[in-house]
Amino acid sequence: MSLSFLQRVPQPLLRPLIPLTAVLIALLFGVALVAATGASVSEALGAFAEGAWGSPYAIAASINRSLVFALVGIGFVLAERARLINVGGEGQIAVGGIAATAVSLYGGVADLPLGLAFILPLLAAALAGGLWGGLPGVLKVKAGTNEVISTLMLSFIGIWLLYWCVQSSALLRQPMSNSGTLPESLEIPSSTMLPFFFGDPSMPLHVGLPAVLVIGPLVALVLWRTLFGMHLRSVGLNQQAAHRAGMPIARTLILAMFIAGALGGLAGGFMLQGEQYSLKAGFSSGFGFDGLVVGLLARGSIAGVFAGALLFGFLRSGGIYMEMVAQVPSALVLVVQGVIILTLAAVTLINRRGEAV
Amino acid sequence: MSWEMMAVFIGSTIRLAAPLLLSATGELVSQRAGVLNMSLEGMMLTGAFAGALASWYTGNPLIGLLFGTLAALPVALLQAFFSITLKANQIVTGIGINILALGATTLAYREIFGSRSSEAIPGLSKWSPPVLRDIPLWGDQVFDQVWLLYLGGLIILLTALVMHRTALGLALHACGAEPRAVDKSGLSVARLRYLAVLFSGLMAGLAGCFISIGDIHTFTEGMTSGAGYLAIAAIIFGNWKLGRMVLACLLFGAAAALKFFLPAIGIQVPNALLIMLPYVLALIAVAGLIGRQTAPGSLAQPYSRS
Repeated sequence: MSLSFLQRVPQPLLRPLIPLTAVLIALLFGVALVAATGASVSEALGAFAEGAWGSPYAIAASINRSLVFALVGIGFVLAERARLINVGGEGQIAVGGIAATAVSLYGGVADLPLGLAFILPLLAAALAGGLWGGLPGVLKVKAGTNEVISTLMLSFIGIWLLYWCVQSSALLRQPMSNSGTLPESLEIPSSTMLPFFFGDPSMPLHVGLPAVLVIGPLVALVLWRTLFGMHLRSVGLNQQAAHRAGMPIARTLILAMFIAGALGGLAGGFMLQGEQYSLKAGFSSGFGFDGLVVGLLARGSIAGVFAGALLFGFLRSGGIYMEMVAQVPSALVLVVQGVIILTLAAVTLINRRGEAV
Repeated sequence: MSWEMMAVFIGSTIRLAAPLLLSATGELVSQRAGVLNMSLEGMMLTGAFAGALASWYTGNPLIGLLFGTLAALPVALLQAFFSITLKANQIVTGIGINILALGATTLAYREIFGSRSSEAIPGLSKWSPPVLRDIPLWGDQVFDQVWLLYLGGLIILLTALVMHRTALGLALHACGAEPRAVDKSGLSVARLRYLAVLFSGLMAGLAGCFISIGDIHTFTEGMTSGAGYLAIAAIIFGNWKLGRMVLACLLFGAAAALKFFLPAIGIQVPNALLIMLPYVLALIAVAGLIGRQTAPGSLAQPYSRS
């Protein structure tokens, strides 16, 4: 491949250029696929736009989705600083959802003042996700377990744990009044639901938005301007050197995984208390894996996470609507996502030239 | 518990373990050669879809099997190209391929089958070995299986032979343990790893076909439902050893069979717990709680000379 001309492009320009190109290639591929299915491209794109940003409701729904991807992505980037790959977002969302449901319904928080009614379940969700993410960190430190494998296994365990919770009346399933009672939890009390930003259900942006807008820059600050951030980076670059310099390797690794998991858990809390309001099987619906991809796309930058999260949030919403209106299967969005990931995995090398691989 | 139920249980354990056995055998060879092929799930799904499609179109399940197995090869080639030639992150590539395969098969299924989705698809026939088929009860319930399963058993034996008794097997093992040594001895690490990944593709294609035209006789969207990941869990639980991996697959198959079996004998265990069990076991294994885990030394690390 003769891509050497890319080396003459200044780095700050090249960094966003690569993911943008990957996304562009994938989107064009998606449009070509729409045409190949025989559907009208203009009709499909019209439906896509309508579903993604055609109304205040659509915009809010897309952004709420983006928040989930952003949180998982931010966690991924944080752990990645220490060369840890957290593929456990899916399970962390699931246990976050379980914890948020349990505390909202049975934690006696519904009547608490000052917003504690919805804040405490969110904290429980973050704690549950943190423990779910921290465990692979502990295993990594104590037994040298590859965190990719352990977080992946814990993802599946989390998904089925959630399934168990909504299937069993002894856990979170709503009381069975008849045989038609659905396997899902009760709806959470309205005081535990996340308040809408504009107080208006036709624009259901919830308070998660400002929270994420604070968390993102905060994590960037931690990564670039604090001692912990430097520890993360050093441990990632050279563990032996970091150890000789007296840095707490074990604590840094575990804490990194804990925080990444906590952000995933919080995302689960947002999904439950901000949108779904009751826990059902299939709750996490691939959002954790999408968030992982967003984290990858971002290439270590929090601004990149936000960009990727917005892209995927709107892409998902538009895809769903496109299926309903223009009869183009939303599986098309999966294809586009897959192409984005692969294109990106391939072009990453161009940027990495000269660095130790 | 009657003898008959026992036989039914063993029979369905083997049937449910079969796709795991087939795909995990290929994946083990790939991992032994140093490539963590996470796209197993996507390759199985591709095989399942292509097998079902060709079988439905031609009415001949054998052509379906051939087509399904071959269809997984380009996917394996993609994984190999990314992880060996481009030296991209193997896990990322695998996840990308899995998402792509899920999207592409779902899309193609809706386009091609559309409303005819409920039509039965001609499936592979069953076979039972002579002598064994005459054992009362067991002959019908345990040994009467889709013939692909017996072929799979043969392939597993051959794989064991090649991996442990031939120069090729030694070279493949070395690729995952000490790729530099392989390179110094004049063999091509890249070529060996390509070979291993393509083999895992072939086996995943067979496994996918077993699910679609062997077992269920239809295709549904995302029908492999995590079997690829389960196969990887079986390898981890089996400590990257073929014999133990086979036992792990059978154990996971038994856990799946218990879902139907336990309610039949009046024991209520949550389904989710049984589905979760293999992943919990794999996690326990990988955490080093049952003996030391010895993954191939260069697993998931691209090889470059410099």
